[in-house]
Amino acid sequence: MNKKTTLITLMLLLLFVIAPVWLMAQPIEMADTLRSEGKIYVVVAILVVIFAGLIGYLLLLDRKITRIEKKLPSKKD
Amino acid sequence: MKTWLKVLATLLLLYTIVAGFLFDVPRLNIVNETIRALYFHVPMWFGMVVLFLVSTVYSIQYLRSPSIEKDVYAVEFANTGLLLGLLGIVTGMIWANYTWGSPWHGDPKQNGAAISLLVYLAYFVLRGSVENEDQRARLSAVYNIFAFAAMIPLIFVIPRMTSSMHPGSGGNPGFNMYDLDSKMRMVFYPAVAGWILLGVWIASLRIRVRLIDEKIQNLENE
Amino acid sequence: MQNLNHLLFKELTLELRRKSVISGLLLYLFSTAFICYLTFSLRQNQITPLVWSALFWITILFTVINTVAKSFIGEKKGRDIYYYSITSPEAIIISKVIYNFLLTLILSFTGFILFALLLKNPIIDLGLFSLVLALGAMGFSSSLTLLSGIAAKANNSHILMAVLSFPIVISVLLIVVKVTKNCIDGLDRSVSTNDLVTLLAINCLVTAASYLLFPYIWRS
Repeated sequence: MNKKTTLITLMLLLLFVIAPVWLMAQPIEMADTLRSEGKIYVVVAILVVIFAGLIGYLLLLDRKITRIEKKLPSKKD
Repeated sequence: MKTWLKVLATLLLLYTIVAGFLFDVPRLNIVNETIRALYFHVPMWFGMVVLFLVSTVYSIQYLRSPSIEKDVYAVEFANTGLLLGLLGIVTGMIWANYTWGSPWHGDPKQNGAAISLLVYLAYFVLRGSVENEDQRARLSAVYNIFAFAAMIPLIFVIPRMTSSMHPGSGGNPGFNMYDLDSKMRMVFYPAVAGWILLGVWIASLRIRVRLIDEKIQNLENE
Repeated sequence: MQNLNHLLFKELTLELRRKSVISGLLLYLFSTAFICYLTFSLRQNQITPLVWSALFWITILFTVINTVAKSFIGEKKGRDIYYYSITSPEAIIISKVIYNFLLTLILSFTGFILFALLLKNPIIDLGLFSLVLALGAMGFSSSLTLLSGIAAKANNSHILMAVLSFPIVISVLLIVVKVTKNCIDGLDRSVSTNDLVTLLAINCLVTAASYLLFPYIWRS
């Protein structure tokens, strides 16, 4: 392999392999600090608690309705 | 509604909240971290369409063999679908304000969604203006089926024919529905199932309340 | 089939005898077009083709809703029972749809002529535009006829008619406006084929739905 082909191969390598990788490596802003500090867990915890509260409320409502349904005489009476 | 379905809905949504915030997402321009809204905003639309579909099926069944229960089912599923649709439109406006620059951007999907909400608002206006119960149920069932048939092209065909700002058409930045990152799929599909189940649960509660109401009225009449 | 012919004939003769109705509609159309002309009269040059198409389709939409609304709302109660005893509901809806289609077609073309006379005529591809008018008339009449049947059974029918029909006709309206824009720009016809096929499909869907659903509202 002579020097010329090596050079061309290198350039092609640069063009088709390195360049896209380099372009992709350009940082796109994400909330990385928030994550690294572990504060994201606070957000998740709050949301989980709110969600659990809502579901619990829905369950209580569900049970209440069941109780009322039982109070009513069934249709065949 | 079976208890295990309620448990399933709860677990799926818990998973959605935890995984939705903690798992990796693709790093994309413009949407950045807000891509996570996908797990909460898009399932609202899936839920709305599914609930409206169920409502329409009950309307068809009502026309085949009329009974008060089927009418109540149709109404309450439409009602809950409307709730999810409203939440979807509000969340969509918040997200659009951040990524597109204004809350209402004349996007075909957004307009289609708004119109499908109008259809069901008209459905409730129709119910409000007929006094005879049988007639109210029959007319609204007919309108429900007719409106759903007319809505199909609006939601599923026209948005695909025109360029939309929503991802997946017109080459705009963002993810494509059909090559969603595999990691996102693992959260997105459970999220859709979870929100739909939650909608069905709420609808079932409303149906039971309505049926109790009907029974009490029957008792009073006797 | 025989019934259908008879019913269609009855609709036509009745309408023709009641000249006040058709002249009322034409006057309505004329007044709206004239108002459009007057409001823009000082600034004729401000009516861009897009404004023209918006004004035109809004006028047509309102006229058509008013026209079709009276196909059931105007009928007397006693007549309903009489029809019910002699014909099938399918024949009634088909005859009404065809009749409304003819009426809507006449009104759309009259509207177009009025707009062309009073404002201006930005349409380059007239052939395509007439096809759009015909398909639009078909879509409007097929979807509105059933709704008029529903609205007639409820209280405050006229308001209800408008509320019920807007969401339904919007998909027809959107496509029609889009193709009108193509006609104004004088684009090649192949650009619009896709839209026209969709419009035709929507028309078939809506007509089939009205045909299947009408017996249920007629029964009450």
